[in-house]
Amino acid sequence: MLFNQKGSLVGAVLAVTIGILVIHVNFVIFQGLFDAIVRDIRDYNTGDVIITDEFDFIDKSDQSLIRWFERIPVVQAATPRLSTTSEMNMTKNGKLIEETKISLVGVDPFNDIRASTVHETVTEGSYVFSRNSMVLGSNVARDLGGAQVGDSVKVLVNDRWGQDQIRRFVVTGIADSPGGQGFDYSGVIHIDTLRDMMSRHGDTGSFMVKLHDSSKAFEVKEFFLRSFPNEDFIAETTEEASEAQLEGFRSGIAMINMIGYFGMMASAFAIVTIQMMLVNGKTRQIGVMRSIGAKRKDILIIFIFQGMIIGAIGAGVGTAAGLGYTVYAKETKMSFNGSLPLEVTYNWEKIIQTALMSFILAIIASLYPSYRATKLLPVEAMRTV
Amino acid sequence: MSKIYGEADNRVKALDNVTFSIKQGEFVLIVGSSGSGKSTLLNMIGLLDHPTNGKISIDGIDTTTLNDDKISSFRNKKLGFIFQFSNLLTDLSVLENVLLPLQIAGNNTAEKEAIDLLKSVGLEDQIYKRANKISGGQAQRVAIARGLINKPSIVLADEPTGNLDSVTSATIVQLMKSMAKKLNQTFIIVTHDREHFGNVDRVITIKDGKAFEGDLPSEMEITA
Repeated sequence: MLFNQKGSLVGAVLAVTIGILVIHVNFVIFQGLFDAIVRDIRDYNTGDVIITDEFDFIDKSDQSLIRWFERIPVVQAATPRLSTTSEMNMTKNGKLIEETKISLVGVDPFNDIRASTVHETVTEGSYVFSRNSMVLGSNVARDLGGAQVGDSVKVLVNDRWGQDQIRRFVVTGIADSPGGQGFDYSGVIHIDTLRDMMSRHGDTGSFMVKLHDSSKAFEVKEFFLRSFPNEDFIAETTEEASEAQLEGFRSGIAMINMIGYFGMMASAFAIVTIQMMLVNGKTRQIGVMRSIGAKRKDILIIFIFQGMIIGAIGAGVGTAAGLGYTVYAKETKMSFNGSLPLEVTYNWEKIIQTALMSFILAIIASLYPSYRATKLLPVEAMRTV
Repeated sequence: MSKIYGEADNRVKALDNVTFSIKQGEFVLIVGSSGSGKSTLLNMIGLLDHPTNGKISIDGIDTTTLNDDKISSFRNKKLGFIFQFSNLLTDLSVLENVLLPLQIAGNNTAEKEAIDLLKSVGLEDQIYKRANKISGGQAQRVAIARGLINKPSIVLADEPTGNLDSVTSATIVQLMKSMAKKLNQTFIIVTHDREHFGNVDRVITIKDGKAFEGDLPSEMEITA
């Protein structure tokens, strides 16, 4: 580089590097958090495609729908779910503790562990395995005075005729999901038991369908709807089904991204300042160059080239540092305070876009100082000490 | 030509209807006291500044009609500069400094020529040193080599010995004289150290912005 001033150039490169790093860290944390929530919603609650009935319950038999789905090569498994609200009580140390409006979910234990990973959130005991076993969410267990595996819980449900149906269950497991997207606030029982209690024999609330390849969700959904044109089915992908839950988060991510891009703009201003310092510090040399025949455009090219080098090194180092952080976050399954582990992905399009953007910004930021350098009159520039 | 700085009541006539012509190969001294206008005159001849009135013709070209790009090319091809403080680019090596005018002209193949020139000014052992690692006298020799590398028609030197001790000054003066003779180049040198240069082809004295041919009588001289 003709005008070598290492300190200033390192400063300019650092500004670009930090700008890029901020964007990468933001992306890893906030997009990772968003993707983790989507992942958990998909894995625990909706599958890749969730089928419901527009007006009522699904009255097709579990087996017929499961068989239909599992004939599609891309489908891994399908499982029925049914849910209602309930009241629960249990006696702990001689004291009766009652809780109302507890979500009660009925699952098919055999198919559920194939289509969902919610059974992996059972931290004590085991998942639902019999008609009278129940998995309690950790929060429900706590609200019931510290219910433990082996305790007996009485559950009240209103059936379809408005009659109270009461049954006693044995707690066989406690579920606690990092991030709270699992059954932490619910009780989980066998779907057939819940059907009995609700007097809804053969009815299903929803079908969650797990695919081998999540990217095919839309195609499977469309194929399903085309195959049952006369039914009142609603088929949604994970994101469609969770749109209300995710909408706020999306705005948050857009805002955080904007902060990152403001950071990048700040680094561009830092480059303008540093390049101006370089022009001021090298005024005499610019005068000498002009006096021995350098044209204005030659001076312009020198400073723009310098901006390109700052941009290229800054973008390279920033991207490398950002990727290093991303690899670290992915390999360590980064989470905050034991919360849900971030879903870290390598978004190459965004990585390249960010690097290119900072490279271009560094060049744009060099335009004004370069222009100022070309405007120096040789005779006056050489008088500068 | 004339050069006037400032406006209205603050007008200062730095050069007042100066007229002269110089032949190819002449070794010319421009002398005068500080503030007399000799450096202004050199800047005009070197196309680093524009005259307020009049014109400067070099090799038959009226340089006042040239645009900025053409003036830059003209400076690069026809003029060589030697400054008082050598004005080398300290981030570059001695050789790179000498090569710079050629590189600006788009010639990247004259390294041998530059090395030969550096040898002829006695710097064969300093070629690859950084320009800030050599002495003032050596820096001025590099500046002379840089001023000559493009084989310019005119070499302009502004106080080339002004920053050097008397022994080094004498060496530099001898070097410039020998190079001028060897290459048949016109040297126009601004100095207030008249005695260092001894016999030269021509002396132009500047006093109060006016040019006088030859050394001024002693009663008119003002010591710098």
